[in-house]
Amino acid sequence: MTSTPDPIRVATIGDIDEGAALVVDGDVNGTGEDIAVFLSEGRYYAINDICTHQYASLAEGWVEDGAVECPVHSSRFSLCSGRALNLPATQPEPTHRVELRGEEIWLYPGVPSDCVEED
Amino acid sequence: MTAPREVAIVGGGLAGFTTAQELRKHGYDGRIRIIDPEGVPYDRPPLSKEYLDGSMPAEKLPFVPDSWYADNSVELVTERVAALLPAEGRLTLAGGTELSADTVVLALGGRARTLPVPGGDLPGLLYLRTKADADLLRTRMVPGARITIIGAGLIGAEVASTAAKAGATVTLVDPVPVPLAPICGAELAVRLHAMHAEHGVDVRCAMTTAIEADGPEYTVALNDGSRIVSDTVLVAVGIVPETGLATAAGLATDQGIVVDEAHRTSNPAVYAAGDVARIRHSDGTLLRRHEHWESAMHGGQAVAASIVGLDLPQHGAGWMWSDRYGVHVEAVGDMVNGTPIVRTVDGVPVTAFRMESDGRMIGACTIDGGTAIRAARRIIDRGIVVDPSKLADATVELKKLAR
Repeated sequence: MTSTPDPIRVATIGDIDEGAALVVDGDVNGTGEDIAVFLSEGRYYAINDICTHQYASLAEGWVEDGAVECPVHSSRFSLCSGRALNLPATQPEPTHRVELRGEEIWLYPGVPSDCVEED
Repeated sequence: MTAPREVAIVGGGLAGFTTAQELRKHGYDGRIRIIDPEGVPYDRPPLSKEYLDGSMPAEKLPFVPDSWYADNSVELVTERVAALLPAEGRLTLAGGTELSADTVVLALGGRARTLPVPGGDLPGLLYLRTKADADLLRTRMVPGARITIIGAGLIGAEVASTAAKAGATVTLVDPVPVPLAPICGAELAVRLHAMHAEHGVDVRCAMTTAIEADGPEYTVALNDGSRIVSDTVLVAVGIVPETGLATAAGLATDQGIVVDEAHRTSNPAVYAAGDVARIRHSDGTLLRRHEHWESAMHGGQAVAASIVGLDLPQHGAGWMWSDRYGVHVEAVGDMVNGTPIVRTVDGVPVTAFRMESDGRMIGACTIDGGTAIRAARRIIDRGIVVDPSKLADATVELKKLAR
């Protein structure tokens, strides 16, 4: 039986630049998979960091319009839902809940985000 | 014209697969068949890289899990198409079966070009177009095996890297002193080409004049008088677009199947996309065929939009990538025209841009540049004018200049 790791404080506001991300190591977050926490248009999102297509860190990618584009083959993932928006990736990234507690950014590893895509 | 109900996609590469995927995304609920003698559609770029070196397993090559086809009602027909009969809304398979299709998408790509020299048609010469080709080539890339690669373009260069890493003795032949200069610009192309010799590849700048076979050995004769003896010869001198079906069906071709901006051929019931398609603009200008991955995906997207009657997707400057000797290369736009600006790190060129006289960027290329190309792409597509001194300064983050 697997249990969901405890929420962890990963940063404070200002640590992550707009359009950038912070990687929380798999050993630290307890899921075994690296998680990237992004800041896009003033909102924080967390999805798994490694592209579902081939090995690449999405935290190194380009963030725009609520999506991150893989720096290697340009697959785009929705930061809200983790959905793969274009080839070559077809598999989604797991999402994780992020919560602001005052100035603190808390990550809930393994708890899917409750973010709802707009369109 | 009535809405199409039966779309037959001929060819299961990226353009063909994307067409099917996008049609379903747009809500098209008619029949979709993908007809390809190779069966399940798969991605080609790994064939000269991760798949060839064995680090990517065969099950990772298909675009999507097999269940996707049933889930999306896309039928796979594992056969070759023998003839198109667009006027009758049918096509014929090599086995003689006839299929009805009111709309046909030709996404056949190209076959490897052969060398027009004596021995250029020897049956034992290898080419790299398919998974089966890669499987055969991999068996030859063993330590000590002698491999001669004719052509130092993208496929030739990537295979040289993969073969050298596998321990083979590699000779790379190309008459062009700096291949890829038209894609990467001279500054970075020189650095890329030099990597071959740095990794022990014997690089010959020469024309191949003949190939001879003697038992299991091949001798490649060059116009500098030298002769290279090897166990395997890979010919990687480009492709010839598969226009046979189109020509036989009376469609307009000109070193490719001629299509309009909506990817429609001269017969409105037939579309073409990917390496095989050549766009003619409404003013009559015939573009060069784009033999790049993203271009094939965009072609498939355009075909699907055309079929369902949506506005055509807008795409910016063309993008490509290559991987060799552990570095990742990306280029966008036009690296032939304009004035170069080069970013160097410790004297080594890392990123190059091409600038118009009015200050606009038209092209960029980088080696291991992270998001530099994504930033450049935005600068190009949005016509952002950037201070040239900042472009030349490798300490200035390109991302910041693109905002």
